Amino acid sequence: MLALESVSMNFGGVAALSDVTLAVAEGETLGLVGPNGAGKTTLFNLISGVFPPSSGRIAFAGRPLGRAANWKRARQGIGRTFQIPQPLHELTVRENLTVAQRFGAGKRDEARLDEILELLDLADKQHVDAAHGLALTEQKALEVGKALAVEPRLLMLDEVLGGLETSAKRAFGGTLMTVKERFGLTMIVIEHDIETIRTLCPRAVVLNFGRIIADGTPEAVFRDPEVVRSYTGDAAA
Amino acid sequence: MRAAPRTPLVLAVLLLAYVAVPLAFGGQDYVMSLIIAALTIGGIAVAWALLGNLGGLVSFGHAAFFGVGAYVSALLTLDAGWPVLPAMLAGGLGAAVASVATLPALRLRGPYFALAILAYAHIFKILAVEFESVTGGAGGLLSIPGFPTVLGLELGSKVGAYCLILTIVLAWMAVYAAIRGSTWGLALRAMHDSELATRVVGVPSTHLKALMLLVSAFMTGVIGAFNAHQISFLDPDYAFSGEWTVLPIAAAIFGGYRTVWGPVIGALAVYLVDQLVFKELMPSGHQLIFGLLLGAMILWSPQGLLPLISRLGLRSGEGGDKEGKPGARA
Amino acid sequence: MVELTLQALFSGLLAGGTYATLALGLALVFGTMRIINLAHGELVLLAAYVAFEMERSAGLNPLASIPVALVVVGLTALAIYLAVSRIRTDRELNSLLLTFGVAIVLTNLILIVWSADIRSTSSGWFLEGFVIADTLFSMRSEVVFFGVGLALIAATWWWLNHSWLGRALRAVSSNRDAALLMGVNPALVEGLSFVVSGVLATFSGIAIYCATVVFPALGHNLTIKAFVITVLAGMGSVPGVLIGAILIGMGESLTATFAKPSLQELTAMVVFLLILFLRPRGLFGRR
Ligand SMILES: Nc1ncnc2c1ncn2[C@@H]1O[C@H](COP(=O)(O)OP(=O)(O)OP(=O)(O)O)[C@@H](O)[C@H]1O
Ligand SMILES: [Mg+2]
Repeated sequence: MLALESVSMNFGGVAALSDVTLAVAEGETLGLVGPNGAGKTTLFNLISGVFPPSSGRIAFAGRPLGRAANWKRARQGIGRTFQIPQPLHELTVRENLTVAQRFGAGKRDEARLDEILELLDLADKQHVDAAHGLALTEQKALEVGKALAVEPRLLMLDEVLGGLETSAKRAFGGTLMTVKERFGLTMIVIEHDIETIRTLCPRAVVLNFGRIIADGTPEAVFRDPEVVRSYTGDAAA
Repeated sequence: MRAAPRTPLVLAVLLLAYVAVPLAFGGQDYVMSLIIAALTIGGIAVAWALLGNLGGLVSFGHAAFFGVGAYVSALLTLDAGWPVLPAMLAGGLGAAVASVATLPALRLRGPYFALAILAYAHIFKILAVEFESVTGGAGGLLSIPGFPTVLGLELGSKVGAYCLILTIVLAWMAVYAAIRGSTWGLALRAMHDSELATRVVGVPSTHLKALMLLVSAFMTGVIGAFNAHQISFLDPDYAFSGEWTVLPIAAAIFGGYRTVWGPVIGALAVYLVDQLVFKELMPSGHQLIFGLLLGAMILWSPQGLLPLISRLGLRSGEGGDKEGKPGARA
Repeated sequence: MVELTLQALFSGLLAGGTYATLALGLALVFGTMRIINLAHGELVLLAAYVAFEMERSAGLNPLASIPVALVVVGLTALAIYLAVSRIRTDRELNSLLLTFGVAIVLTNLILIVWSADIRSTSSGWFLEGFVIADTLFSMRSEVVFFGVGLALIAATWWWLNHSWLGRALRAVSSNRDAALLMGVNPALVEGLSFVVSGVLATFSGIAIYCATVVFPALGHNLTIKAFVITVLAGMGSVPGVLIGAILIGMGESLTATFAKPSLQELTAMVVFLLILFLRPRGLFGRR
């Protein structure tokens, strides 16, 4: 489904990602973990085409993405959320989804929007000003909703569970599983909370200083001494 | 959506515009000329507001599109024998084609875009002077054909020209309203403050902006063509005059460029007051008031006159601060 | 051919001195406040008309009217600053529209007070020829104001780099909040940059009045020229403004010599667009 080959990204002198090679299979749910500044969000930015990699290749659904514009990638089936929610300004919650569906999926299907709003518990808020009328949890749900309205095949979630209460976290995690099954998605989930990764993801990849330092089941990965070392002093996160 | 339940008001205004105004002023050529000129400004103001509100682009060079539209239409009728009305549409297309040359400017940030378009207006004017064999150079074009008679209505008469420009302006307002109310309009509105977020859900933001530029140029070009055939004379200084930029901006800002009616109402108010009052008081330099008005609006009510009125409490009840912010109806 | 080229380059160089003074005022405000003062050319023109008025009514030499012009233009610049500083939302674009409005007001005031007639100095001294090395021709005014231009550029450059206020100004331009922490009052410094820009506009206006003719609509062209040079130079480079001004001056005079004078403006506009599209930081811009 997704294949990265020796992907690197430099910002000025900072190497945010170095030589990352990674394959994600259709239907998989991959957990992406690593300390702050490890390069997780940068990886999403490269896949969704926010900026091009300094070097390396990315292929999606068997075809190289090359320098395809970010809006084209959305139409090819790559949906993503932002770590800091970025609602579409000046629009209501439902209008946010309408725009994503019309442009990302190329159609109008109100029933599907209703379903997404229902799943994400946003139905009551659908006519609220998205930029100013939502609590943080709802903003994160809207991030997921926008990405789903695009009708993606690959859904990339950047800390959508971060900052939630334990119970809310569990509930929203359950929602994500439902969503995945319902729409037949492949998912990459960035999360700091090890427990969440354990329950959601059969496979986890650990990034540290822009390099992959472990790849396997969450159990194996979190026992890896190098991973433990990279997380010492960062355990609270 | 905001404008939906206003059908009676719209009908009343249409009746007033198409019937009452010609009946009242049809015999007074001077007044009709003023109204026609005000609507000409108003038409450009609508085009400017469409680009500003939907494209998020402030232009200082709409004179470029006005001038190109005027020249293309005039030359097609003079040299190629085209009938006037199709030539006017071609004038609009010509302006849209000319705007393609300005597309690289879309990559520039706000103020740079504004001034780059101004540079284009200067360049087009110089080209109009230099390509003397085609454009008649600085001497200009004389005896440009006037409007034909359609279905018994003499468009060449003052009342006819008035009906023509009124129809064009209303059509442009309808286009503006239609785009604004569509899903495209939603995406365009969202682009101002969240461009990346719109792009990652599949919105080709640069293409949409380019489209708005083309549409705005087309509208302005048709208005330019109308003007050329109405006054039957054209030279580069006139066709590309900064006035075709200044007056519409003042009008659109005054009336409120985020609304559909604002630019036209602004143009009628500003232009007619200028011509009937200030021009009488000071024959030269009366355009001073456009500058004052523009500055005052930016300082005290950048969203236009309507929010200002509501803030002054003339419209009872409603809170003023959310006015003019589409989509904010929590 | 060679002689023609040399003469064109020489004239362009001299013009560059005046252009640099013209552009530096705009570039200074642009650099500190990120504001393009579209009324800058009108400030320049205002100085020229003050000189004209003093010459006409009191028979003063244009140079003698500099103090009065400094006061008039400096106060006008300060007034523009006070208006601009009231803008709260979207300052970059709204200040553009606001100063555009101010430019319209000033142009029309000039038109009302001094009419649309073309004015020039009656002091012939400035217009007399000045020959260098037997082959290169110029007018006295061009040489004098080339020198004045260089001196002003040097003084401004020194002031920005060595005086306390100049350094405060640069601090505000690179980081407003940090400047605040350092105890610099940004409002004061920004107001100051407008006043200094008015001083530069005054000298530039007197130079233009001595060397050529003025009329109300000229202000707009001057603003455009100043902005073109500012973009060419890039943000924050004083020597860049001088070099940019000289390049534009030479480009124009070469165009006038080898093509025709009416194409001068075309050269400037095309250079302007090319720089914006291909090298938006300008030739010497920082950041
Ligand atoms: N647009 C950018 N420009 C410059 N540097 C950047 C940019 N984006 C990221 N970086 C740098 O790249 C590195 C990786 O950042 P990234 O945001 O990918 O980390 P992350 O793993 O998502 O961290 P966090 O857990 O804090 O979200 C950091 O050093 C960051 O400062
Ligand atoms: Mg991150």
